[in-house]
Amino acid sequence: MKRLINGLLVAAMCCMATSCSKKDNYAGPDATFSGNLINSVTGKNLLTETGGFQVQLEELSWSSTPAPYNIPAKPDGSFRDTRIFSGHYRVVPRNGAFWPVDTVELDIAGNTTKDFTVTPYLEIKNFSWKLNGTTLQMTFNLFAPKAAGLPKVLDVQPFVNNTPFVGSGATIYDVYTGPNILGINANYSDDMAKTTYTVTVPNLLSGRTFYARVGVRVDDSNKKFNYSEIVRVDVP
Amino acid sequence: MKLKYLVLILTGLAFGACNKLDVAPLNIIKDQDIFTSETGVNAYLASIYGSMPIEDFIYRPERGFMNGDGERWQNFMQPGNLTGEMVGRYNVGDAAQGFGFWPYDKIRTINYMIVNFPKYAGAFTQDKFNQLLGEAYFCRAYFYFALVKRYGGVPIVKTLQSYPEQSITDLSVPRNKEQEVYDFIGSDLDSAIALMGDANIRARANKYVAAGYKSRAMLYAGTIAKYGATNYVDGEARQKGLAGIPADQATRYFQAAYDAAKLVEGHYSLYRKNDNKEQNYVDLFLDQSSPESMYVKDYSMSTGTAHSWDATMTCRYMTADGDAACYPTLDLVEKFTGPLPITNPDGTPKRFDDRAALKQGLEPRLLASIYFPGATLRGKEFDIQRGIYKKFNGTAAEELANNNTSVWDQPDNLIVSGDINQLYNGRRVMGLAGMFATAGNDSRTRTGFYVRKYINYKADQASCGLYQSVQSWIDMRYAEVLLNRAEAAMELGTADKTADALNVINQLRDRAGAAPAGANITIDTVRNERMKELAFEHHSWWDLRRWRIADKVLDNTRFYGIYPYWIENENKYILLKQEEMGHRSFFFEKKWYYEPLPGGELGKNPNLYPNNPGY
Repeated sequence: MKRLINGLLVAAMCCMATSCSKKDNYAGPDATFSGNLINSVTGKNLLTETGGFQVQLEELSWSSTPAPYNIPAKPDGSFRDTRIFSGHYRVVPRNGAFWPVDTVELDIAGNTTKDFTVTPYLEIKNFSWKLNGTTLQMTFNLFAPKAAGLPKVLDVQPFVNNTPFVGSGATIYDVYTGPNILGINANYSDDMAKTTYTVTVPNLLSGRTFYARVGVRVDDSNKKFNYSEIVRVDVP
Repeated sequence: MKLKYLVLILTGLAFGACNKLDVAPLNIIKDQDIFTSETGVNAYLASIYGSMPIEDFIYRPERGFMNGDGERWQNFMQPGNLTGEMVGRYNVGDAAQGFGFWPYDKIRTINYMIVNFPKYAGAFTQDKFNQLLGEAYFCRAYFYFALVKRYGGVPIVKTLQSYPEQSITDLSVPRNKEQEVYDFIGSDLDSAIALMGDANIRARANKYVAAGYKSRAMLYAGTIAKYGATNYVDGEARQKGLAGIPADQATRYFQAAYDAAKLVEGHYSLYRKNDNKEQNYVDLFLDQSSPESMYVKDYSMSTGTAHSWDATMTCRYMTADGDAACYPTLDLVEKFTGPLPITNPDGTPKRFDDRAALKQGLEPRLLASIYFPGATLRGKEFDIQRGIYKKFNGTAAEELANNNTSVWDQPDNLIVSGDINQLYNGRRVMGLAGMFATAGNDSRTRTGFYVRKYINYKADQASCGLYQSVQSWIDMRYAEVLLNRAEAAMELGTADKTADALNVINQLRDRAGAAPAGANITIDTVRNERMKELAFEHHSWWDLRRWRIADKVLDNTRFYGIYPYWIENENKYILLKQEEMGHRSFFFEKKWYYEPLPGGELGKNPNLYPNNPGY
């Protein structure tokens, strides 16, 4: 009896050891999908921050209602993901400070790139800055490429950080951003377009290097910011 | 071998059996056993009531109702932490997307009764039958309301689905519009109101309980219609009416909310047993015979259902076990009082001999809801002190940010400690009840306050351990019905409705010991009253959502506490308004006005698409 059981055990172990040898016969996520969001006004990459928008992918190869997959924005307005399954996708950039964009369907395989042109809600124009002692002043105008239907303009915020990665998610909020927010809370108008705005950040620490920019947001679904470029500020 | 015989015998038996198997199985309880006696129906209903999605002491927004969960003791992980009414261990993002609530199994249990119970109506008197059936309608509405306030439109299932008789395609029910779900809840509650009697049976529904919940549900629908029309995330689900209600429906819902609330009048009343208004308000939450409690959930140690409110709302100094980890904010306190009188006109902090002096003259309801520095519980004082200034000649404003940047807030002048036993010149540096907060040592207040509402002050310290609290959760009390009525009345906005709202608000203020409101009340007066009266009762999260103001109120927002310090060279206390010790930033994304449908359900039923906007 015992021999029988042992024999059976050995047989079962052989069975288990040799089964399941079939390799996963699906292709791995080996495609790369990348691209840029181009600002339709300037023709350059959209000024944004890490996670300032997302590119949503829905793989239609298997199902008409797939779970969406999102590629977050890089700070230079591009996006890139090197681990995408090859297939047929519906793609749209979203959750950013720009007017909604139509979805596109495309096949992703190997190295696929796709640029999207977007119209930002607001442009920060004529941006200039100066440093008086330890007080940073940033001056600019607001311009809406498309004024009709623009949600209410909420506020302008200064962002200051000690690395070149600066934006709403990377700023010294309590000291430099929070107290110096310029509330607007009004609909975009011609008067607003003519106004020159100044945002002031006092009491920067002496002897440090900071990176700064301003951002403006409207009361849309996402409340993300349209940014100025980033400036390097060496405080004496 | 014996085995051979055994097999032979078994085979013989197998052939010989199967003679008369067409007998009703005696070990299975059938419909006629349950639905023909009151005891049977009560038992059936008990299983439904027991599974009701009541957001009680134990409920936790990202974990759910915590049945059998080993972390059920953490009663501080509660939704008030998400709105700035309290601060604690939560960030809003941790909890805003829910826990995948999808109770269609429970809804089937109720549908089963609604479909099958009427076949046995003859076994009961008409009144009894109506009462029991009405309770089933009430319970179904309760479940659907718990769904619709999270997801917007969900599939309305009111028949009994059966598998494999029906194909998977038939069973994949699509979402109904949000408006249809609210109307369905309204009609179920109307059925419940029409069917049930007015007898008040503890922890069960009656006609007026159903009316109370109808006022709540219809008010939610009205505000979502009104305010969701302007503040929303666009998407397919919104365009199809799955998330969002047309604005022109608002008035209809407000009227329904008002009428339902009005129906309750005269059948329940505000608790006024004690002439001492502070003690009266404390006892309201503990008195089992309160005429204000409409629908409650009970707990007991013997059934293992007891909760841990006493152990987890105040510090270990007053309790036997557990941690406190959520604390009322100064922002909530100032809703009652305006700025507290802690600063002189010249901007310097007032000097106090006794911290408890701060409490003098404050609204009794506030003192009954929140423990202030210097209050007492179980014979022990809330000895709350952040530290010792050797000297302090500055202004209160300099210390507001609480981040070591002022000249007074420097290590050589301000002594702080995380150890209650540390002395400085013979005086305790930190109070016995706080303040201090670091990871792992989080049971002493971060704001200078503790929750008092629902605290059982009669329990002795030794019996304030985990799973030892049995005070009932009051899921619906008459004060809320009055607030629903006042809010609906203000939204309707006619002169007689506004007058009624004022009357109702002043009933609440009188009971609270607060000054009456004037005739110029606005919707904000009513909302503010709601925040005060229903603080810590898990309403604020849903209220901020349905008013569609959460993304404005929580926009990188910091909340404040009140920090008592001892000034050594003056032998006085000062009380400073400072950012709460966790320095948390509160933020609300607009897409959180709806939770995402659970991913698992979307996988099973593609007809649930589109998901809510933004997900």
